[in-house]
Amino acid sequence: MITNPVASPTAVARQWFLARSDLDALIQALRKAGRTVIGPTVRDGAIVNDEIQSAADLPAGVRDEQSAGQYRLAERADERVFGYTVGPTPWKRFTFPPILPIATAHRSGSFGFEQPKTVAPQLAFLGVRACEIAALGMQDRVFLGSPFTDEDFRARRKAALIVAVQCTTSSSTCFCSSMGTGPEVRTGYDILLTEIDEGFVIQAGSPAGAAIVAHLPTRQPTHAETGAAVDVVEAVRTQIGETLPIAGIDQRLKRQLDNPRWGVVAERCVECGNCTMSCPTCFCTSVTERSDMEGRISVTERLWDSCFDINFAKVAGGDFRARPRDRYRQWLTHKFSSWMDQFGSFGCVGCGRCITWCPVRIDVREELQAIAPVIQPIERPVAVEPVAASPGSYSIARLASVREETGDTTTLSLTDLDPAFLSGRPGQFVMVALPAFPAVPISISRFRANGIDLTIRAVGATSTALANLHPGAKVGLRGPLGTFWPIEDAYGRHAMVVAGGVGLAPLRGLVEALVANRDRFESVSLYYGSRTPEDQLFSDDLVAWSASKAIDVAVTVDRAGPEWKGRVGVVTTLFDMMSCDCSKITAFVVGPERMMQASVQSLISKGVPTERINVSLERHMECGIGLCGHCQTGPYFVCKDGPVFRLSELGDLYAREGI
Amino acid sequence: MASTGKAVRPRVAVAKFASCDGCQLTLLDLEDQLLEIVSRFDVVEFPEATSHHSPGPYDVVFVEGSISAPEHLDQIKALRKQARVLVTIGACATAGGIQALRNWADHDAYRAAVYEHPEWVESLAMATAVSDHVKVDAELRGCPIDGGQLLELLTSVLVGRRPQIREEVVCRECKRKGIVCMVVASGEACMGPVTNSGCNALCPTYGRGCYGCFGPRTGANAKSWSAGLMRSGRPPEEVWRLFAGFTGYAEPFRSVLTELGKAKG
Ligand SMILES: Cc1cc2nc3c(=O)[nH]c(=O)nc-3n(C[C@H](O)[C@H](O)[C@H](O)COP(=O)(O)OP(=O)(O)OC[C@H]3O[C@@H](n4cnc5c(N)ncnc54)[C@H](O)[C@@H]3O)c2cc1C
Ligand code: SF4
Ligand code: SF4
Ligand code: SF4
Ligand code: SF4
Ligand code: FES
Repeated sequence: MITNPVASPTAVARQWFLARSDLDALIQALRKAGRTVIGPTVRDGAIVNDEIQSAADLPAGVRDEQSAGQYRLAERADERVFGYTVGPTPWKRFTFPPILPIATAHRSGSFGFEQPKTVAPQLAFLGVRACEIAALGMQDRVFLGSPFTDEDFRARRKAALIVAVQCTTSSSTCFCSSMGTGPEVRTGYDILLTEIDEGFVIQAGSPAGAAIVAHLPTRQPTHAETGAAVDVVEAVRTQIGETLPIAGIDQRLKRQLDNPRWGVVAERCVECGNCTMSCPTCFCTSVTERSDMEGRISVTERLWDSCFDINFAKVAGGDFRARPRDRYRQWLTHKFSSWMDQFGSFGCVGCGRCITWCPVRIDVREELQAIAPVIQPIERPVAVEPVAASPGSYSIARLASVREETGDTTTLSLTDLDPAFLSGRPGQFVMVALPAFPAVPISISRFRANGIDLTIRAVGATSTALANLHPGAKVGLRGPLGTFWPIEDAYGRHAMVVAGGVGLAPLRGLVEALVANRDRFESVSLYYGSRTPEDQLFSDDLVAWSASKAIDVAVTVDRAGPEWKGRVGVVTTLFDMMSCDCSKITAFVVGPERMMQASVQSLISKGVPTERINVSLERHMECGIGLCGHCQTGPYFVCKDGPVFRLSELGDLYAREGI
Repeated sequence: MASTGKAVRPRVAVAKFASCDGCQLTLLDLEDQLLEIVSRFDVVEFPEATSHHSPGPYDVVFVEGSISAPEHLDQIKALRKQARVLVTIGACATAGGIQALRNWADHDAYRAAVYEHPEWVESLAMATAVSDHVKVDAELRGCPIDGGQLLELLTSVLVGRRPQIREEVVCRECKRKGIVCMVVASGEACMGPVTNSGCNALCPTYGRGCYGCFGPRTGANAKSWSAGLMRSGRPPEEVWRLFAGFTGYAEPFRSVLTELGKAKG
């Protein structure tokens, strides 16, 4: 029945106690009232909802174990009859039948279409959980909430009496608390049962429910019993926790329509549609015609269908969702984003059926977090307060030595500087100033006991002037600035450093830190690509690292002369040599923009989680302290919110044109 | 075609290549509709029911069986020329059938092992689907085909509508019937997620996994499903057997089998 969401105060206040041994009285009272009782019962290794004759059909002493792609029954230590969570049968099966004749047509003699009149069976749904009451409500909005209504649904919904049950346990797949639909049943029921040790605390939510309860051998519950009924629901709430950070996900998804992860999950998804068929809110259907051989009398049947169907969005000119990734995206964005626009709520109640019944174990919660993660206000542990942190101010350092790395790149070793610079962390940078030249951002390429190194490629005026300095010269410094490599993110994992060209400079300090703490990582590897062998930075270091065995070093060049014995090809070609479980990689990537994008794409496609891919962005910077506005990228000031970012923080800002 | 009267009954022929005749029999099994069918169609060529032969052209030719022997190559081309609409029926004609298992084996060795006089047996090294040789207008899948689908195809020819035959996986029918998925609830192997529907989830209804006899749904993600079956602990040999049944030579099952063949060595 579609009950008044706010039950009358007296009905709410009134509670009864029914002994477990008397539960059959409820079922028989419902049957006596002319209803067929649909409730949980064990069939084929699962607890399905089906017709039950008596309390003996209920799954007493049975519990379920659910995880992605797996469902098993087990024994309980007690005789509880509702000690499990939702099974494979969504209640929509009885209000929105999977196969339904919706019209007949004829053109022999007369011509016409007729709608069959629904004779809705008088049903009682026994054991409806909080998430499922919410799901019925969502289908109410879909089928009855607009000027165009589904009268078959209305008739069936009206004819069903809802006997709800509070959940007293949860499964790993449950996330009702995140979706705000459970675990507590609050409205939408005719009768509500809460199972405690000896029986049930009962409430009525409608006159029809109260009329049934009046026939039961109930008594007043004790304070201990009503208290236990409250506690048990609270315990479940704690047990589930908030597994999915849901706030704002509808908006976050809208910004992720191009996320490459859609393609990754679509490679696993077999498009069986079991998620949508098991989902208590999915409402899509297709029609098929049956007729006599001449097409004079026909019946239109409506079938449950799914947006995973390959013909679902086809028109004569082509298919609007031709690729599996398009279809997967339709499903997930509908449930968690566009449903909100259409019907004012999420299309998901968090029952977890789509997770349990997915044969390839796809968990929507994982996909949502990977595709549209909450962009945590980035905690920015400041390595050290930067010095000269105001416009126009610089701290002086002396150039101790100069080393030519390649034809156009030079390393400056600075000394006599403020000790703050020595406490910087790999990945940070400094603004370097010379009188009469605009200051430029340069990464710290090495921390030494008494100074820092800057490795500079002469690409223009300031960089050339810096590269041409002689030992003893002075420079102005502001820093150390920006975020640094989150080395802890690689503890216990495969640390993978990917560098292109001069991009090795901001990574050298990281490689040294990885080598120094080698035991903390499953493995450490460096993939380094440069244009030609002559453009390779830090050749001595590369040789020493290779020899140390602490780190696997693979290098490649884009083009080479005959004397080059190593690999030729872009850096991503090196990734094919990787033989580890890619989900356990933490990657650190710097290089020219194109190389970074290609590397990131490749890592994602191999299954490296986006929150474990760190990149350093090069943007135009003039102040380095969030005041000049040059470096903005979406919401970020790359100088202080970056330059090191987790890819998940960037979402599809990354590699997006024109941002 | 909508107003086809008896005078211009469409001429229907049923032709057979390498097959067991089970699909043709499905037509005869449509007992209740048989009289109506023959009153509306002129069934002129039907090896299983008559020995009467009548030359083409035909409006509809149902082809059963795979192309398996040297003479089939010319026969199917000739038949195509005589057919306005050519419909392949059954796993043999649509996918090569069980006999296509030899496509992965040493044909001569097989022949020598099975027949006393292998030199008397003329067969091609590969058993292939009819569509590998000529254009096919419609397919009825299954081993054997489903009578309801056959009736629908005949009806659609008369009415002039697109056959109401769905391109969807067996899981859809399974779910509509409310069957508990045995892959999830008991770890059983099932080809439902990659197999085209049409059988009304016959095998799952009787508590066993789908054999894949209706063949791959267009674009089925067979690669992921074979990985899924292996992830639940099945060795490549076993997954190979699951894909290699009646329709293993149809893509994308074929590619998966080739990959698995490499894996199991
Ligand atoms: C966080 C960060 C770390 C960096 N680390 C290094 C490093 O370790 N080694 C290194 O060689 N280079 C590094 N760079 C790049 C370096 O800042 C530029 O190459 C340098 O600013 C060029 O200045 P210029 O006066 O020599 O060139 P210009 O003659 O002014 O211009 C040459 C090119 O450099 C670009 N450019 C100019 N000014 C800036 C600026 N303020 N910020 C960014 N790009 C600019 C111009 O758009 C042009 O494409 C880093 C950049 C950033 C953002
Ligand atoms: S149940 Fe899993 S495999 Fe099937 S369509 Fe849904 S996500 Fe894809
Ligand atoms: S999307 Fe999944 S978890 Fe959400 S209501 Fe549907 S089946 Fe349940
Ligand atoms: S997720 Fe797909 S099947 Fe479910 S309601 Fe939305 S469009 Fe329909
Ligand atoms: S039993 Fe087989 S056909 Fe049925 S839903 Fe499960 S995988 Fe699909
Ligand atoms: S560099 Fe000035 S705001 Fe970032």
